[in-house]
Parts: sequence; structure tokens; C-alpha cells
Amino acid sequence: MADLFEEYRLGPGWDEMFAELGVPRASYEALHATLQPLSSAELGVRAEVLARAFLDQGITFALKGVERPFPLDIVPRIIAAAEWRGVEVGVAQRIRALEAFLADVYGAGQVLADGVVPRRIIATSAHYLRAAAGITPPNGVRVHVAGVDLIRDEQGTFRVLEDNVRIPSGVSYVMENRRAMAQVLPEVFAATRILPVESYPAMLLTALRAAAPAGISDPAVVVLSPGVYNSAYFEHAMIAREMGVELVEGRDLVCVGNAVAMRTTAGEQRVDVIYRRIDDDFLDPVHFRADSVIGVAGLLNAARAGRVTIANAVGNGVADDKLLYTYVPELIRYYLNEEPLLPNVDTYRLDEPGVLEHVLDRLDELVLKPVDGAGGAGIVIGSQAMRHELDAVREKIVANPRGWIAQREVKLSMVPTLIGDRLRGRHVDLRPFAVNDGEKIWVLPGGLTRVALPEGELVVNSSQGGGSKDTWVLASPTSPVGEPVPIPVAGPVPSAPAAPPDPGPGQAPAEEQQQQQQ
Amino acid sequence: MTSLVDSWRLKVQHKSGFEYAGTVTSSYNEARMWPRNDARQAVLDAKIEVWPPARTYQYEDYWGTVVTAFDVHAGHDKLTVTASSTVETLPPGDLLSGGLDWGFDTDRWYEFLLPTRRTRLNDELTAIVAELRARHDNPQDAAMAVCEFVRSEVAYVPGATGVQSDALHAWEQRKGVCQDLSHLAAGMLRALGLPARYVSGYLHPKPSAEIGESVVGQSHAWVEWWAGRWTSYDPTNGVPIGHRHVLVGRGREYGDVPPLKGIYAGPKSTGQGVEVTITRLR
Amino acid sequence: MLSRIAESLYWIGRYVERAEDTARILDVHLQRILADPWTSEDAACRSLLGVMGKPVEDGPFTSGQVIEVLGLDQRSPSSVVGALAAARENARGCREIISSDVWECLNATYHGLARAPRQVESQGVHAFFRWVRDRSAVMAGLTDATMSRDEGWLFLVLGRNIERVDMTARLLRTHERAGGSIPSWLTLLRSSGAWETFLRTYRGALDDRHAAEFLLLDRLFPRSVFAALTVAESCLTDLEPDPGRAGVATDAQRIVGRARTGLEFRGPDDLINDLGPVLAGLEKTCSQVNDAVSRRYFRQTSAVNWSSGALA
Repeated sequence: MADLFEEYRLGPGWDEMFAELGVPRASYEALHATLQPLSSAELGVRAEVLARAFLDQGITFALKGVERPFPLDIVPRIIAAAEWRGVEVGVAQRIRALEAFLADVYGAGQVLADGVVPRRIIATSAHYLRAAAGITPPNGVRVHVAGVDLIRDEQGTFRVLEDNVRIPSGVSYVMENRRAMAQVLPEVFAATRILPVESYPAMLLTALRAAAPAGISDPAVVVLSPGVYNSAYFEHAMIAREMGVELVEGRDLVCVGNAVAMRTTAGEQRVDVIYRRIDDDFLDPVHFRADSVIGVAGLLNAARAGRVTIANAVGNGVADDKLLYTYVPELIRYYLNEEPLLPNVDTYRLDEPGVLEHVLDRLDELVLKPVDGAGGAGIVIGSQAMRHELDAVREKIVANPRGWIAQREVKLSMVPTLIGDRLRGRHVDLRPFAVNDGEKIWVLPGGLTRVALPEGELVVNSSQGGGSKDTWVLASPTSPVGEPVPIPVAGPVPSAPAAPPDPGPGQAPAEEQQQQQQ
Repeated sequence: MTSLVDSWRLKVQHKSGFEYAGTVTSSYNEARMWPRNDARQAVLDAKIEVWPPARTYQYEDYWGTVVTAFDVHAGHDKLTVTASSTVETLPPGDLLSGGLDWGFDTDRWYEFLLPTRRTRLNDELTAIVAELRARHDNPQDAAMAVCEFVRSEVAYVPGATGVQSDALHAWEQRKGVCQDLSHLAAGMLRALGLPARYVSGYLHPKPSAEIGESVVGQSHAWVEWWAGRWTSYDPTNGVPIGHRHVLVGRGREYGDVPPLKGIYAGPKSTGQGVEVTITRLR
Repeated sequence: MLSRIAESLYWIGRYVERAEDTARILDVHLQRILADPWTSEDAACRSLLGVMGKPVEDGPFTSGQVIEVLGLDQRSPSSVVGALAAARENARGCREIISSDVWECLNATYHGLARAPRQVESQGVHAFFRWVRDRSAVMAGLTDATMSRDEGWLFLVLGRNIERVDMTARLLRTHERAGGSIPSWLTLLRSSGAWETFLRTYRGALDDRHAAEFLLLDRLFPRSVFAALTVAESCLTDLEPDPGRAGVATDAQRIVGRARTGLEFRGPDDLINDLGPVLAGLEKTCSQVNDAVSRRYFRQTSAVNWSSGALA
């Protein structure tokens, strides 16, 4: 029997399962004990079942126009309770600061007047949408959902790589991954106490309802999707289904005199809260791209008039600009008067005097990122780039220093991953999802772990052909799993023994014979 | 109060609209035709009427301009917006000359320093700006020199360009309308290092306007620049902003303050009309 | 329910039914050509293509071409493969409304279509048609077993039955045109799954009158035109829970009702003697109902192309 861990190597980067070869960390003991005796053939069969289930259910990701499954690796990633507590609090802290910042830059602009963030950063941000100024969200929330991308550095410290406060995607994979894994690794589930993830849709719905325009007691919430050709359509449908709300497209909605309604077989019905999964640019042809056929004309002014709530708010992109990212620790101190709990990755601001020269001298050691590139597009990893790629990026940076940041190359942490018929260390990141209902910020335990499948690859984005892992946050030994279960006032009703199904003709005598044999 | 005596009272009627080749089923529009209260003008009365009839919604946009938004869902082959207002305007203040040097802080007005689509310059113009700057030892004089340059080099020819035109286009053909001259001036002022705004409004064409006489006016545009304080100037006419000017909105360029813009579903637009009538009431 | 979703469900019903019925029609056609050496292949193919609304200018036609056009053409929503793909495409847009079982069935069928040409080659068309019928049956079973009887279900069943009326009429027309020999009625009844029921009903009195009467008018056999019209009518009634006092509420109800009573209260002999016009009338009824239903329930479900304008 071949050992799955045969020829497994540590590093480069923090190995999340092993402190040293063959010795798993405490949080991974149960998983390791399950995997160790499995043959690669057995694990292969389970992985096959996993892949098949995803394809049949249509859990796919469109890459370059081709619909393909988003591969789920069979080895989960595990985060201990105490580690998670740090992530949870740190993510919530960041969201609080970003909310305050957004309210400020689309309002009084105090942070700019005080010089904490230079005005030029905002004035030159492609996602600072002046059309969104003056839209006041009913409960003050602009970031209803956030996805904060984290990595663990060489010492195992969680660091923030970027914030996503526009339309972060991936949460459906978190839920689907968990369901699928429970079927293929039941024995580990039984041996491990894992915080559940299925309450996400309920939490999101609560937050969306809380964001409804004033005076609406039973708000109609919808999910607005660009349609079936969007790469994340599967997720839009799933979220709508699990929240029990309509999944609409732009053409289903009509805005008349600032009132938004959906077209139904019984006429037009009012809509109060729109969880939109359409980019700002395409959302409202009146204010943004007039050639958009997936948006809703008049939507922005309906929100301005307080007749409908758009979640996430329009213009949030100014807060997840990668150059603004470098100011987030300052924003946390400025707005919250707290020290940042999750550090950033060391980043150079190329628009500051002298920095550009310094960076251009060492492009081959750094990671270069366009400030508004999404999904890993445009990233150049200096140490892995060819000469001509470095030259090309140098040219782009010199032409537009505001458009780029440079970061220290962090060797992301690694988790064993099934490659062929062996487990191998592969780099991962983590996107926890946070939901803000205006009263509190709730962070979904775990989040989406993305794994770069090629050896040594550091770019993990699904749009770059990566896969994912189920992410388990272990329950703290002292707290119950999940929400406390309400205790019923009376004791449980004893269930009456059930009668067997009615037998068909010719079946009954056989049963009698069996009974006689007892 | 002498200023009361000196002020004019202007009544402006601005009619603007589209005609279509057939029936338009749905249309969403925003009008920026409502004069704003400002240091040098007071709006006594204003209203906006839309045909076909539609409920209007007003808000103040990022730039402080009053926006009137409306949508029409009845079939129509013609859309008209009529804005009427009565505004009291003051004569020009002193044009600050000299006294300031280049060392003022521009961070507060950073976005008015950046080029936009319609105010972009080419190398030739950038070189001209550098030369103008070298010739003047204070920003105010340099700014006036820019305005003079624009006025002397680019002829004001009504109808020479459309609303989508930009400064470079007007520069290349050495002619344009007030919108183009203002874009060019704003672009060059920014190249000087002065934050500059594009202003949209109206102009009474006659310096010696008769009270009670209605004249054909026009939508107008001019510029403002920051050199420690804001200065307004009309580069098309080479005059400071005064009695005859009614201010509607300020922005980086035309795209921030279009008097009427919108989207519609239907056949192509076959015509458009803009009429401005101005009457001096006092 | 969203108009767009209702429209999708209606078309899922139509496309799945279309795939199944087209498979049946093709099956009969091929068996006839095999069984009857005197049939001209070209003429039979032309007749079939004509009835299915396909151009017949070029020729001569072979059964292989007909299978290509009506069976395997991926781009045409009136071929078996194209209709199943179109059904799945519609289902993609309303996954949150149909049950996961129904979606998975359509999706798995769609993924199975990639194998269709190979299957036709290795096992013959009959096996492929058999597979299509099986998948349609699974789909029908799952909709019945897993979808609540709400508006969405009504639209799906409505679509299924409108299409069934249309396709059964076309099926009958292929025979009406071919002169309807006894062996061909036999294959026709077989392919409709009606053979045994028919035998029991008419006790072996096999002639073309009885066969046409059965497929057109039988009250109990669910694939008959009459039965399909009756179901469609009841769907339309259920979609309008609040009927007015004068007559029926909607255009669609009137059109279907008129067609149904036309069959119900005209004598079978009268109908059979006038079969050609009766069948043509049924096809027209279907397209009228389709328009009426679209007008009433699916208003404006396509995106608007905006033009922009700006003025000084």
C-alpha cells in the first residue's frame, strides 16, 4: 500500500499541517490519522466522487468562456479556534474602519481634510464614483458583505492581502464544499468539532432586511444577477434560493419615478432591497455605462431618494483600491482609535517620492500588482517572471505609478493537496466573508481557501485556474458548536413507533413467516 | 446698500429637447438647468417643466449643482424641458492682480488639477503653457495670460463644435464655442499648476441691456481658477464674471455639468433644440 | 412569479416535450422506411421535413440527413438535441425555481448529449431515441414528483401540453400525407406508446380511422390531442384564480377552449374525413395560444438597448 505522504516535502512557506515532517500540528491530528492509513487508490475514489457530485449539480466556474468545475481538493484546511478568533476580530475591525472611511469620503471628507489619506489618492481612484455622493444608506451600512483576502506568512502570521468590499464572490463554494466533504470524509467529521457554515444565507438576509428603506416593515429583497453567462451565476442562484428570495436580472426590474418594481405574471411588484452582483459600471445606464443591458435605468436615483437600498453600496471600490489598502492601518487608528489586529503585507506606494526608483531597482524580488486588478489579473511575481515580462511591467509602472503597488513576496502557507495520487504541499490563501447588519459584523467561520495547484505557484485565484479547499474552523473546547439551541419548554414528545409501509399483494405472508421464525 | 442698486435681475428661460424618428417608449433624464445660490447671485425663483408630463425629483450632486431627474414612460416622439428662473446678479468684483506667489497649497482642490477627457492638452499646448508661466512672476498674471491666449488664438464661432467636442479639437481647428474655449482655458490653467473649474451657466449678450427687453441668449461656459482664492473669468468674451452671467453648475468639464442628458429606448434622435431667452427685469 | 421565469418554465415544458415527440416521429419515420421497401426515401423525407416546418428546396434527401437536421443539429431548437440543450439553457436561468432534481436531470441529459453522435453511430438511432424518451420520462416524473403545484408548475405543464398538441398534430400529418397504410399506423401507435391501450380499446379493429380517432380524441390516453388540450385549458384556468362573470377571462383560454370543443362536439367521422384542415387548424391554435400567453404573462422580458443623448 502506497503512502499518500510519500516524498512529501515541507516549504517553502509555513506548512499548516506539519510542524516537522510526519508530525502533524494538534489541529490536524484527527485528519492526519484518517488520511494516513488510506491508500492513494481509496483517496482517489473519494476525490472522483467529489468531482462527479460537483459536475452533476452544476457547481461550475466559467473560465475564458468555458464552463468548468471549480476543483475542490479532498484535503480540508483546518484553523484552530484561537487562531480563528484573531482572524474574526481582525476582519471585523477592518470592516468597521472601511465603513467609516466610505461614509466620510462620500460625505464630509474629514479624513482628507485631516491629511490622513491624501486627497490625490481619492481624486485619482477609478472607483471613487462622484455619482454616489449624497446617497445615504438607510441603516448606515455600505459594506453589507465583505471578503477580506488573508494569507499566512512564513511565520504563520495571518496578514491581509486585499479587501473586497464591492461584490466579493465565492461564498457558495464555502457552503457547497462543506456539504460535499461531509459525504466523502464522514469519519473525520465525526471525530472533529467543526463550526457550521450553513447559517450564512440567514445572516445575509437579516442584514439585507435591516438595510431596507425607512418605514418598510416587510421588505422585499431580491438578488440582482447579470444572468446565466456570468461566471458566478451559480452563486447568485444559490444565495437567492437559500435566502428564499427572487433572483432577478436587470430586465426583470423597472424603475418608475424612483420606485423599483419587478415584472411578474401578476403585474409589477415593489422591490425594497437589491443585493446586486453587477459591477457599478453596469448597474445604471443613466449614470454609468449607457450601453449596459444588464443594469436597471434609474436605480441610482431611486437609492438616492431613499426608495430602494443597493447592497453593497455604489462606489465602495474606492475602499478596496490596492493603494488605499496601504492606508487601512492608518484608517483603523484614525476612526477607531485602535491598533490594527491583522497586519498588512509590506507594500510600497509608488506615487511617493523616491519609492519608485527604489522599487524599479528590485523588481525581480517584489510582487507587482495593478491597483484595481481583480481576480489576480495583471499580477507579476518578480522572482518568477521572465526578463521581458519584467521589462513590460517596468514600462507600465513608469507610465502610471498610481496604477501599481509593489509588495514583498510572501511565500504563502501550504496545505497538503492531492496531486495525482500523492499529497503535496501547495500554497493557499483564505477569504473570510463578513456580513454587516448595522448592529454587528458577523464573520462566517472559515471562508474560502483557494489553492494554487501548480507546484510553487503563488497566484491562487479561481480565475487563474486554482482550486479550493473546505476550510474548517475548530470549535473551541469550551464553547458549543454554532448558535445555542433553544431549549424547549416541555420535554420532547416521544415518537410513536412507526408502522411499516403497507405491503403489496403476496408480500404479507413472507413477513408473517419471518415473524414466526423469530 | 450700494450693491442692491448695482445688481441686475435677470429672467432666464431655457428650453431644450430632443425629437425622435418614431415613438420612444421609455426615457430617463437629468437636467442641470437650475441656477444655484452663490456668493455673487441669488436665485429668487426657479422651476422646471417637462413634456410629456413627468414627476421630477431634485437633488444636489457631488459638485453642488441642482439636478432635476425625471423619467417618461408614456410613448412620445418629442421631449422638451423648460427651465425658468429669476436671478439677481452682482457686478464683477476686483480681479486680483499680482500680490500672490506660486507657493500656495493646492491639495484641497486636487481634482481640479487633473486633466479630463475634454481638457487634455497636447505637447504643443503644454510647451506654450510653460512659456507663459516663465513670462509671468505671479500666478494671477499667468492665468490672465492663458485666458488672453485662448481668446486671441481660438475664434468663437457659434455652432463650430458639438457637446462631445474637446479642447484639442477646437485648438486644431482654431475655432470653437464657449464650451471649447473654456475647456482649453481650464486645461491650460491646470497645466500652469492652478486648480481650475469649468462653469456652466447663461450670459446676457448685451452689456447695456434694456430693462424689460427679451433677447435671445445662450447657454454659456467660463472658468474659475484657484491661486489662493478663486477667480472667475469668461475667456470667450475676455471679461470678468458680472451682472450678465448666471451660474448653474461647476465641475471639471462639461461632462460634470451637462444641461440635459439622458438615455432612452426607441429610434434614433433626429433633432434637438436649445433656446435661451433672457430678460433683464431690473 | 417573475415573468422571465414563467416564460423559461413554459419553454422548458415545450422543449422537453418537443425533443421527446420529435424523437418519436423520427423513430416512426425510420421504421417505416425500413419496413416498407416501396416507400420512396426522398419523398418520405421531404414530407417529414415539410411537416416539421423545415425547408425542402434542396434534395434529394436521405434519412441520414433528416436525422442530422431533426435529430442532432445542436443549433436548431427544433431538433432533438437542440431542444434538450435549449431546455437546459432555460433551466439555467431558473434553477432556484425548479427543484434541484429537475435541474440535475436536465443538466445530466445535456451532458449526455455530447455522446449522441457516437451513440447513433455505435448503437443505431433507435437506441438514442429510446434514451431521449427515457430522459423525458424521468424529467416528467421528477417534475410531477418534486415540484409543488404552484404557478411555475402550471406554466411548465401548460408548455408541455401546448407542444404536445402541436407535435401530435404534426405526427398525424406525416401519416395523413403518406397515405396512412395499415403498417404505418401500427408503428405510429407503437411509437406513441399507445399500442396496447389502443388494442384494448378497439379490440384489434385496426384501421386508420380508429387510429386517428384514438390519437386525436381519446379522453383517457394522455398523449391524445384532446387530453392535452384539456390539461392546457385547466392550467390556464388555474392561472387566473379570479374569473370574471362573463365567460372566460383570457384570450388564451378562449382559444384553447374553442379548439377543445371543436374536437369534442364534432363527430369523429366528420373530423376524420376532414383530417388535413383539422390538423392544420390545431397547429394554428398552438401558435395563437403561444402568442396570447406571451402577451398576458411574459410582458417585456428582454433587455432594453438604451441610447444616450446630451444637450447644451
